[in-house]
Amino acid sequence: MRHLVLNSKIKWILIYLLLAACVVKVDFDVPLAQSQIVIEGIISDEPGPYTVYVSKALSLSSDSSYRDPIEKVKITLMDDLGNSENLIEVNPGVYKTGGVIQGLVGHSYHIILETLDGKKFESEPDMLKVVGALTDIRFTYEARRSKTAFTETAADVFNIYIDGDSPAGDDNYTRWRFKGTYKIVTFPDLNYTVTPPYAPYKNPYPCSGVRIGEGPIGSGGILIRFGECTCCTCWANQFEEMPQLSDVQLASNNQFKNIKVAEVRITSNFFAEKYLVEVEQMSLSRMAFDYFKLIRKQKEGASSIFQPPAGKIAGNIKALNSNVSVVGLFWATSIKSKYTFINRSNVPYPLTPPEYSTKPCNSFKYSSNVKPILW
Amino acid sequence: MKKCLLFIFFIAFFSGGAQDALEYKLDGSENGKSLSTVLFELEKKYPIHFYFLSEWTDPIFFDRSFEGQTIGEALTELFRGSDLSFVTMYSHAVVLVKDPLQELSRNRIIKEAIREQKKVERRVVGDARKQKKGQVRILGRIVDAETKDALPQANVKVSGSQLGTNTNEEGKYAISLSPGKHILSFTFVDSKEEIIDLEVYEDGEVNIELEKLPTLLDEIIIQDLSTKEITTSRIGQMQITIRDLKRAPALLGEPDVIKQIQTLPGVTTVGEAAAGFNVRGGSVDQNLVLYDGMPVFNSSHVFGFLSSFNSEAIRDVSFYRGGIPAEFGGRVSSILDIRSKDGDFEKWRGSGGIGMITSNLMINGPIVKKKTSIAASFRSTYSNWLIHSINTNYVNLGKSNVFFYDGTFKATHLLSEKTKLSLTGYSSRDAFRLFGDSTYQWENLQISSRLDHQFSSKLNGEFIGGISRYGYSLKNDQELTASELSFQITSYVAKAGFYLQNGIHKTNFGWQGIYYQFDPGAFKPTSAISGAKNVSIDHQYSFESAFYVSDEWAFKKDIFVEAGLRLPMFASFGSASINIYKDGQPRDITTIAEVKNFNSGQPIKTYFGFEPRFSVRWTNTPTSSFKLGYNRMYQFLHLVTNTTAVTPVDIWQPSGYYFKPQYADQISVGYFRDFKEKKYGVSIETYYKMIENIIDFKDGAQLILNKHLETDLLQGKGESYGVETSISKNIGRLTGIFSYTYSRTFRTINGPTSSESVNGGKQYPASSDQPHILNLSWKYNLARKIFFTGNFTFHSGRPVTIPLSALPIENNTAAYFSERNQYRIPDYHRLDVALVFEGNHKRKKKWEGTWVLSVYNVYGRNNPYTIFFKNTLSGVPSPYQLSIIGTPLPSISYNFKF
Repeated sequence: MRHLVLNSKIKWILIYLLLAACVVKVDFDVPLAQSQIVIEGIISDEPGPYTVYVSKALSLSSDSSYRDPIEKVKITLMDDLGNSENLIEVNPGVYKTGGVIQGLVGHSYHIILETLDGKKFESEPDMLKVVGALTDIRFTYEARRSKTAFTETAADVFNIYIDGDSPAGDDNYTRWRFKGTYKIVTFPDLNYTVTPPYAPYKNPYPCSGVRIGEGPIGSGGILIRFGECTCCTCWANQFEEMPQLSDVQLASNNQFKNIKVAEVRITSNFFAEKYLVEVEQMSLSRMAFDYFKLIRKQKEGASSIFQPPAGKIAGNIKALNSNVSVVGLFWATSIKSKYTFINRSNVPYPLTPPEYSTKPCNSFKYSSNVKPILW
Repeated sequence: MKKCLLFIFFIAFFSGGAQDALEYKLDGSENGKSLSTVLFELEKKYPIHFYFLSEWTDPIFFDRSFEGQTIGEALTELFRGSDLSFVTMYSHAVVLVKDPLQELSRNRIIKEAIREQKKVERRVVGDARKQKKGQVRILGRIVDAETKDALPQANVKVSGSQLGTNTNEEGKYAISLSPGKHILSFTFVDSKEEIIDLEVYEDGEVNIELEKLPTLLDEIIIQDLSTKEITTSRIGQMQITIRDLKRAPALLGEPDVIKQIQTLPGVTTVGEAAAGFNVRGGSVDQNLVLYDGMPVFNSSHVFGFLSSFNSEAIRDVSFYRGGIPAEFGGRVSSILDIRSKDGDFEKWRGSGGIGMITSNLMINGPIVKKKTSIAASFRSTYSNWLIHSINTNYVNLGKSNVFFYDGTFKATHLLSEKTKLSLTGYSSRDAFRLFGDSTYQWENLQISSRLDHQFSSKLNGEFIGGISRYGYSLKNDQELTASELSFQITSYVAKAGFYLQNGIHKTNFGWQGIYYQFDPGAFKPTSAISGAKNVSIDHQYSFESAFYVSDEWAFKKDIFVEAGLRLPMFASFGSASINIYKDGQPRDITTIAEVKNFNSGQPIKTYFGFEPRFSVRWTNTPTSSFKLGYNRMYQFLHLVTNTTAVTPVDIWQPSGYYFKPQYADQISVGYFRDFKEKKYGVSIETYYKMIENIIDFKDGAQLILNKHLETDLLQGKGESYGVETSISKNIGRLTGIFSYTYSRTFRTINGPTSSESVNGGKQYPASSDQPHILNLSWKYNLARKIFFTGNFTFHSGRPVTIPLSALPIENNTAAYFSERNQYRIPDYHRLDVALVFEGNHKRKKKWEGTWVLSVYNVYGRNNPYTIFFKNTLSGVPSPYQLSIIGTPLPSISYNFKF
């Protein structure tokens, strides 16, 4: 008996040792993130308008990844032929061209910015380079399992592959940008609120086009439609987790073969009807390539205790008359794109119905009630 | 009595006389004559008179010409180290006197030694009647009384003078003395000091057998020679031998050589329980760890919680960080030379320890008495069994695995009195998995043989041959992604070294060669349905060799010089395919111009090095010395890592087509002083080091399974400097050492393009830059067998690169990182204490036991091991600190010897 007691004590000492290791959040005294400006813009050989976003960097303690816009910035787009065009602020911090300048392969473009308090910034000219054709887009099913705290669960995916051409010659860099779209149907008209100790009562969202009318006692009222539901059907987007670049997917004989550009998780919500896959094959300058490569490396190494320290992302924008910290990229690209649909019937087994939700569909991340042209 | 009166008489009446008599110059004719003869001749030649007793001067001969030197200079030189001196009277008389204080001092030293229970022995070498002209030469060998092992770096000192020397690798020493009486003291750090009351008249031998101190088991003591023998040691050298380590408070009561190294001035670690150590700002891979002459690439168990050397199996350890002898090379910061114990040739012995997570046992003894012995040790952990038997809902430990062992075997055979052959085997293995499906495994395996042979009384040789293999694997057991990543280095080592003792010169020369075979990485699926791909990196082959020669000699009585030269060569061989990149463009797979193929055995690149070594010690007084050391070191193997903590899956990259060897030039200068007969010691040492071709990684580099590492690694310059100070109290109930180091270490990587530079080509602090390092350790004898020991350590937090803000980019967020190493993790400090209860100190006892109760991290400081970044739900990266031991950790261990 005495032996058993001792043995158990030793075990608990070991547990104590295991738990002695601890992970705690650590705070460094860093410069105020809000004083740093982030500029992001693109010009392509597709028809405009072209967009530039100007925002403040987010603090590390921020609980949102939405941009904190910087308004009333004067932005001028310039090309190497001497043309220029002022951008118009269409939404806070979102600036668009008016169609004067059209991106052309073989020309360089840059922007000049001036904030309301007179601080000026300028991007280095970026050459719009030719991109090869995107010849095929396809998907394959892959069965997967993933671990949860206590068991394993299905985590099947569709892998998205493309084939494409790489332009002949040196100094060609390619990026593939993925966007997925799926349809969301919700029932905001059937929303109700529970406020204990009271019974649930009907509480439809105004955007559902219904309101509560007087009804029999105890019914909680009746729903009366007064207009169209503008938040019942939406289309939500999914984006790549990290940039896909040509250095990890080599071209042989100037051709890209079986390049995996994304994977789409198979869930009943994503495949309630069908899933739209769009892939853009984009040309890059070396500078833009290095910029996206650093972002990719950073994402790859995230959350490991042995992760390598990521590098400082700089970009091609410099402050002209101040020492304000600015980071960002204004880049030029030629784009070839392709799309495909993955239907619910492509999933090799029956899916359960999508989750029932009474929230407005546009409350889902990156969703809109505007039907995509390709849908 | 007569001598005393004579002395007093002359001191009283004639001190302070004129110096003229002493200023007559000698003409060289005195060479070979006795002092008596020369003095008579001088009296005839010059108007001077000498007063002396011929029994004093007859034995003294002029053993060289003093032509051009004055009589005063010649007499000073002849009487150095003896009890004779002289005074002048008026301008024409010189009186030779015998100093009775020396005789009194001799008696006092002997009485004190007897009182302190030191071994005192009287020896007479030669016949007083046949007394040799001039200086006599004493040769000898110091060995362990039990094992008869030679004791290298044992200290020989002539009491009351500045004369002294150390033994060489063979335990041999040589010292020149004036004929007469001397007191020699022989010390070795874990042994009883022996005092020889010596009368010497002719050349002869004084061989010594030092007994182990009976107080404790055969533990490791790390003794900084720069504090205990501060006036006589080589600069930057520390001798680490067997003793007090178990008295020191250690993590879970496990004595550990490398943990103890980390408490020395100028040595730090990058984090709690981090593998390896950093010396004078160098990186972990810049330290060469040798076990019986074979390189050890990973010296840690369980990510560095413990080192992979069982202290029971170690005979001694030498640590060099400055003024490194030419015999050693291949790393630019330091050398840790660990020697294993020979078995006892007389009787069977054993020792061991039982700790909270490990136990160890060492047995050794004769197979054939006085001829063949073996020693074997084994250490392992029962943590695995304990973890598996824990039933808890708190954490799922069913698949956890923390296992390691290390074992040594050594057979020694005395082929003759002059030839010894030993065969050593060493193996260590780790398997580690706490949560998840990944198991880290790594292992060292070594087999080596060593032949020591005495060619003549002056020439000894050692010949070493062996194989060393280090490898790791990372296994993933999840069925659908089951895979194994593996890495391996195999080294074939050969060495021939010679020690020549010729007069006042000790010459050491030889050749070393290592053939390396690298398997830099293979990744393969390990289940039939695994989705893992097969990836493997081509093998790499290289050969490193070096010729070396060094000589140490007492240039003058108070100046000791060691100079050497090492000529290393490194070649890499095919078969290999090397990417050649376009000129003027950054190395990138998008800029490959062609692929160059090399056949098997075809040289790819060869490098030659030139490594001068020099150190000098000037003992300006018997209790103080100045030292200076310079060395150049080449390093041909580089540990490639870009993680903030060293992991077992870091890879070693040999120099080759793209990676040039690193080389460092280091100069160090120090002043060392004892006070109150070594009761106190102080030292101050400063160094400056420049390193060329130091390797660092590009931002966002991918290193594992990278077939073109040259696109992700950069080379540049390193610079380190610092001041190391220490104060020690060596004798008394309370002993201890306080050391403080201020040191900085920087790197500059300025490539042709911004992507090939770090921080825009500006100088930045290296990851191991820790400006302030403070250590305090003490031992207090509460009672005769009870000690209270402890240590406190503080070092500045090391530099890290951290995210400063989050950037909203394309519907996602990316972290905006600072420039490299511009921030620091919180400072590290920790207090450990221990109570040691020793068994009885009788020499004839059959069983000795020692209990050690210790508390590690007494005040529960959450010291950071590493900083990493986790993305929050909104995708914003946030810094987190992992502390390995964030609470006070008590432990108990029992060590025994029979």
